[in-house]
Amino acid sequence: MGKKKNKTGEKRPVAVTVIAIGIVVLFFVRIYQSIKPLAEENSLRNMQTEPIFLDGILTPHGQAVLESLLYLILAIGLIIVLLGFLRMRRWTWVFLMAWVGFSMVVGLEDYFYFGDPNFVIMASDVVIAFALSQADVQRIFKIRSDTGEDII
Amino acid sequence: MKTSSDRVFMPVKSTDTELLRRFEPVVKYTKGEQFFPFDVDRYVSECSLWAHYPDGREEPLVPQNEMSLEKLVEERPATFGTIHFLRFIETLSLSESALALTQQSRLRRKLHNQFHVGMGRLARGGFLARITDALFSLSLLMRGKVSPATAAAAELTYERMHEKEEKYTYYGRVVRQNGWIVLQYWFFFCYNSWRSGFHGVNDHESDWEMITLYLYEENEKLYPEWAAYASHDFHGDDLRRRWDDSDQLDIINGHPVVYAGAGSHASYFRPGEYQAEVSLPLPTWLSGITKALNKFWTDSLGQPEGNPFRIPFVDFARGDGLSIGDEQEHAWSPVVIDDSVLWVSQYRGLWGLFARDPVSGENAPAGPMYNRDGSPRSSWYDPLGFAGLDKTPPPPQALKLLMDNNAEINQRQQELNTLIPQKAAELQVMGMKLKGLEDHPHLAKIYALLQKRINTSAEELKNLRRERMENGALMQGLSQRLKQIEAGIEDNPHAHIQHMAVPVESVEMRHARAAETWAAISLSLMFFAIAALVFLAPAYFWAGVAAILILFVVVESILRGAFIQTVARVTLILALITSVILVIEFWKIILVALLVILGIFLMAQRLRELAN
Repeated sequence: MGKKKNKTGEKRPVAVTVIAIGIVVLFFVRIYQSIKPLAEENSLRNMQTEPIFLDGILTPHGQAVLESLLYLILAIGLIIVLLGFLRMRRWTWVFLMAWVGFSMVVGLEDYFYFGDPNFVIMASDVVIAFALSQADVQRIFKIRSDTGEDII
Repeated sequence: MKTSSDRVFMPVKSTDTELLRRFEPVVKYTKGEQFFPFDVDRYVSECSLWAHYPDGREEPLVPQNEMSLEKLVEERPATFGTIHFLRFIETLSLSESALALTQQSRLRRKLHNQFHVGMGRLARGGFLARITDALFSLSLLMRGKVSPATAAAAELTYERMHEKEEKYTYYGRVVRQNGWIVLQYWFFFCYNSWRSGFHGVNDHESDWEMITLYLYEENEKLYPEWAAYASHDFHGDDLRRRWDDSDQLDIINGHPVVYAGAGSHASYFRPGEYQAEVSLPLPTWLSGITKALNKFWTDSLGQPEGNPFRIPFVDFARGDGLSIGDEQEHAWSPVVIDDSVLWVSQYRGLWGLFARDPVSGENAPAGPMYNRDGSPRSSWYDPLGFAGLDKTPPPPQALKLLMDNNAEINQRQQELNTLIPQKAAELQVMGMKLKGLEDHPHLAKIYALLQKRINTSAEELKNLRRERMENGALMQGLSQRLKQIEAGIEDNPHAHIQHMAVPVESVEMRHARAAETWAAISLSLMFFAIAALVFLAPAYFWAGVAAILILFVVVESILRGAFIQTVARVTLILALITSVILVIEFWKIILVALLVILGIFLMAQRLRELAN
């Protein structure tokens, strides 16, 4: 695999670039998911006029805003992870692996029980998971030693 | 040359007994060990002799109080498939079993011989290994096994006999093979209590263990060169250590030290706790699938090796208990044996209970000369091959053999140096002749024959040149080895070892107590959780089981300090499942995409060729 050097001089495996692209794809999916509920409820137009809570209960507009906010936070989170990842920080590898694992559990649950999975996210998760499992990626993130042993 | 002045030796004219005594081992047992090397005649006199017939019937041949070594070796013709076996402990009634178990506890307290397990084996292995271990325990219910009451009764009987006469026996054998003088020390135990006493793999009545020493002769003296200890999971070269390998072999006054596994009595070179792994006996098809998955996991996915169907067991060879041998608290009583000893050669049956275990772990072993199925034991008839020493000459012969070999190759090189130019010249002559035959159609037959001869000769010449080339490289290697031997430079004593038995490091676990407790209860908790799931949310059974499994594995990994590895493995497994779903759902798109990519690639290649 071809390798590029980052600013610190460490070689960055191509798999890292693939993962970064995967994160960017996920970022756009999350942005889309954050706009979608607002658009469906016409919330963008009614932002000033409709209340979020009514008698202490979330209105449909409020639910859309909350859902949108959640996806927006996820999108921002992805950008932070992406930055850490490109700097090859160990925590981002762990965080991303756990995140992708969790996301796949949700995806599989959607597939088997609700029949409405997001295949784009599932595909991105698979690509990221396989890329993160590459020996040279694990080595560069200090997850695995050069001899192949796991670093706990 | 090897200097022998500082090494222990015996005169070449020493008797077998003198040799055996001079190099007899010091065996150190683990505190808590219940059975020590015993003499076979006293054991046999306590046994009854039985026959197990192919139709499943069992019949006593000699009752307990009439048994002796003479009776044991009597001729007993039997049909194919008949198994003769001794019974040390007769079938116990319920009350006898309860009594034996109570008296066993009392005896251990009285002897202050309690075993301290340390970190339990369950906490040493992961969660999946524990599930496999549960399956292994269940398999024991279906396979034949020796009961805990039998183990208790064996311990009590042994103790009674031992109290009557305290004696520690080894059976020594001296064999001379291929220039080596082989000393075998066989140890007989009344019982193997590894499972019942030390959480190990198996229990069986009687146990035979062995160590072998290899001596060579030089200047009318015999020097020890190698020691090989029989041990689980190892064979051939891996079994032996060189006498001067002080990292691996402890020697007290010229006596090698053996650290015996608690209950298993397996022999180790270094004190410690050894992790033995046992595979769950799986059907062939399932074992094939497991192997294929493992190969995919390691080779294709580049993940560290691991087999969930292997169960970790610990063999405790701490050497902190009773020790026998030179300058130790107890001395040996040696008995010399060979093929002429009738109980060695004439009794091919089992030395204890035939538990009807199809995988044999709980069946008693046969004697030193035979395997359980009555076939000859390789360590008896081929003691050199047993430790991979059949390819190694004794040190004084090594130099001569090497020089002879070198001279032989040298001579062949001389021959080749003459032969190759001759053949080359002949070939040139034939080539010229062939040229002369061209353009003459009436000589076509001769031309074809000559061409065939030329091809054969060219091939021959090529082979001779290759041989000369290879011999040159071989001679270079042999010369270097010769110089090394002449300069007395020793090989790396570990060079022959591919897999070395290494004691496991004492694992410092985070929250060790919590990890131990978790290891003990986690599997049961998981079953309770699954039961609750069936009762409360059956619609979400599979998702629930997956979630419970992941939760348990994650808790386990946190306690074991292996969270990152666990997350990586679980996520990778999820990724594999998800990829299968994606392939099923989008196989058409994937196929089309692959074809398009292939088309683009080929077109780009061809266009580039065209442009060039």
